[in-house]
Amino acid sequence: MATGEKIWYKNKLWYFFNSLKLTLGVLITLAVVSIIGTVIEQNQQWPMYVARYGATWAKVIKTLRLYDMYHAKWFLFLLALLTLNIIVCTFERFPPKWKSLLKHKPSKYDPQSFTRIIENCSQNHSVNFSGGKSAAKERVLSALKKKKFNVVEYDGDGSLGMYAWKGAIGRLGSDFTHISLLLILLGAIVGSFSGYKDFKIINVGDTVDVPYNEFKVRLDKFWIDYYESGQIRQFNSMLTVVENGKDVLTKQIWVNEPLYYKGVRFYQSSYGQSWSKIEEAGIGIVNRKTGEAIGEPITIKWDEMLPVPGTKYSMKLVAYSADLGIDEQTKTVFSQSQDPNNPAVGLEIYENGKQVKEALLLLKYPGVFQALPTSDKDLVLTGYRGIMYSGVSLNNDPGTNIVWAGSIVMGIGFFFAFFVFHRKVWVNISETGGSCQVKFGGIINKNNLLFEKELQDIADGVNNSGSKS
Amino acid sequence: MILSLLFFTFSFVFYLLTALLYVGNWVFKKKWLGQTATAMSIVALFSTTMILIVRAKESGHAPFSNLYESMMLFVWAVNVGYIAMEYKYKFKVMGVFVMAFEFLAMLSASLLPYKFKSAEPLNPALQNKWHWMVDLLSKIGYEKYAIGWLDFHVFTTFIGYAGFAISCGLSIMFLLKNRAEEKGGNNFLLDAFPESKILDELSYRTIAWGFPFLAVGIVSGAVWANYAWGTYWSWDPKETWSLITWFIYAAYLHARVTRGWRGKKAAYLSVAGFAAVIFLYWGVSFILPGLHAYA
Ligand code: HEM
Repeated sequence: MATGEKIWYKNKLWYFFNSLKLTLGVLITLAVVSIIGTVIEQNQQWPMYVARYGATWAKVIKTLRLYDMYHAKWFLFLLALLTLNIIVCTFERFPPKWKSLLKHKPSKYDPQSFTRIIENCSQNHSVNFSGGKSAAKERVLSALKKKKFNVVEYDGDGSLGMYAWKGAIGRLGSDFTHISLLLILLGAIVGSFSGYKDFKIINVGDTVDVPYNEFKVRLDKFWIDYYESGQIRQFNSMLTVVENGKDVLTKQIWVNEPLYYKGVRFYQSSYGQSWSKIEEAGIGIVNRKTGEAIGEPITIKWDEMLPVPGTKYSMKLVAYSADLGIDEQTKTVFSQSQDPNNPAVGLEIYENGKQVKEALLLLKYPGVFQALPTSDKDLVLTGYRGIMYSGVSLNNDPGTNIVWAGSIVMGIGFFFAFFVFHRKVWVNISETGGSCQVKFGGIINKNNLLFEKELQDIADGVNNSGSKS
Repeated sequence: MILSLLFFTFSFVFYLLTALLYVGNWVFKKKWLGQTATAMSIVALFSTTMILIVRAKESGHAPFSNLYESMMLFVWAVNVGYIAMEYKYKFKVMGVFVMAFEFLAMLSASLLPYKFKSAEPLNPALQNKWHWMVDLLSKIGYEKYAIGWLDFHVFTTFIGYAGFAISCGLSIMFLLKNRAEEKGGNNFLLDAFPESKILDELSYRTIAWGFPFLAVGIVSGAVWANYAWGTYWSWDPKETWSLITWFIYAAYLHARVTRGWRGKKAAYLSVAGFAAVIFLYWGVSFILPGLHAYA
């Protein structure tokens, strides 16, 4: 675009964001402030900060949001600054660069200007060739072709010219890199606005809903693998996706191996003894007066209905609590902790197919609650077999794929930027009385050492006089 | 343990010898000393490779799972980088610094307390293998040699570290040489250094290797974290420090490519970058709490 032409966006702000000083400043600032967040532990409870840093510093931490620094507004502001900086720089530099890459070949040959260019190149050579112009040309061509240069030839009055180039695409490496950074940031933004995370405790055999989705998942099995030494090798869950009442997919997951279904990932993240469900319980029948056992205890499975021998009742195992507590206000029972400090089971008692009572049997305190409504017998809990639960993290992050796409673009960008170098070489061949003088010079956008060697090789390839140029 | 310890001892001695040979070559400028030094550095590389291989056999997984093993990998990568560079550019003085550095790394590895050395089975979070590789290798019954994101992540990160280490060495050499050039006169040791311009360029070239490798390391770590922790980025101190380091080198590249920072300023940035790498590698593991157990 012509100089002096003013475009609406070319104001001071634009220049501010177009500055590489800004880039350096922001990069260094980001590097330095990021350290803070690694020294101050993130997302801890408030009292921890007061205890460790004292009230005054804790206030500073709170005001500047240093306890969750990477999500603080000022940190995001720095990232936004970097993003704008990248966008403006790319917009500003890419179009002219692209144009110059498209029309880099000299349109006409002028021996004088070629000689001048060659002399101005940081790397230049002048080689004598004993032979005619066309032989010299062949020689130069083959030396350039051996190095995989693209070559155009020019014919001038009395002298020959060549222009050779390779690796032009390397110039686009930085643009690919910058665009990839924008993609990665975009992915992060998409993820933070539209994704969700959740955590579910699933007892073996249970099915849970998946938030924002129609399907459910069921835990069929949970198990732990051990090394011979007894150390845990891996924990595994067998999960089944249930959609419209049908099992559609079953997969074994373990730490590092999630289940993926319709954009949601299910990760194995923890496990333990369930505090709200068991596999089976042993129920003993006792004489209510003396507490003496009558016969062997019966084993009853979860949700199973069994007759109570010697009575008109049936019982069904429906509840379990590892650490029974009773809420005084609502009169409901719950588990106070996950540890089996006070295990209890809940039974439904039926008479002629009708539920007549809910009974609570405590392992440690047999007989505190009467189980059967009218009978000289009573029930006690003699034991139980627990089941495991599996802690499964759910994660839906539509931005992840954008981040990966960005990473791939970044890989391409790095390859171009660091391993493909743009070289341009100008050649001028002039003949004087049966021998030629071959002058050539070149520039490279980086990696001069490599280029020095390459041009020397070409010089050696052309030189047939035996003397070093 | 015995066999890998044996190779460790060999390597330890080899690196000492190699370093001494390079010093000898530097001081006495004898061709045969230089050639022996190069040969010796290859022997040391072979021996270091054997530590890694034997270690993998002993523990049943890729030897990147504790601090000691990662240091062997570091030493290995620096040696590979150095040999490639010597082959390409033919400057042997660098060997003095690189091999002395290697020897010091071996020394510090040997001083590590036992708990950072013992070959432990992998905990659940560290077990991850590429399915395609398992499938491929199981055809010939070698599926237990399949690797996964963890191995790839550690390996690429350490190539990056090695590049930065060499670059830092070159920058220090640059600063020494540059001072000698500015003062003028002869210095019998520094005269053996390549020109400061070349040292500056080489330092940049090694960063041009280290930077993308660190990036691949960071990204593959993110891919792995996405499998293991359910999120690709969690601002864990190690992650954050890798980003900090990466930003410093990004600043280096921009300062150099576009603002023409060459020479001294660039050299200081390269040294600062490597200080960040050292903290990233050691400091974070020992000082800051986080999800990364080591390295
Ligand atoms: C984290 C942020 C950034 C990273 C990782 C990054 C990465 C890169 C890389 C790898 C290169 C190639 C360097 C080389 O060839 O040695 C580069 C070049 C460049 N970058 Fe960035 N960049 C970032 C931000 C920016 C910003 C914000 C700007 C805007 C001012 C910018 C402007 C440039 C320019 C002008 C070049 C040189 C282009 C060329 O030589 O063709 N960069 N960048």
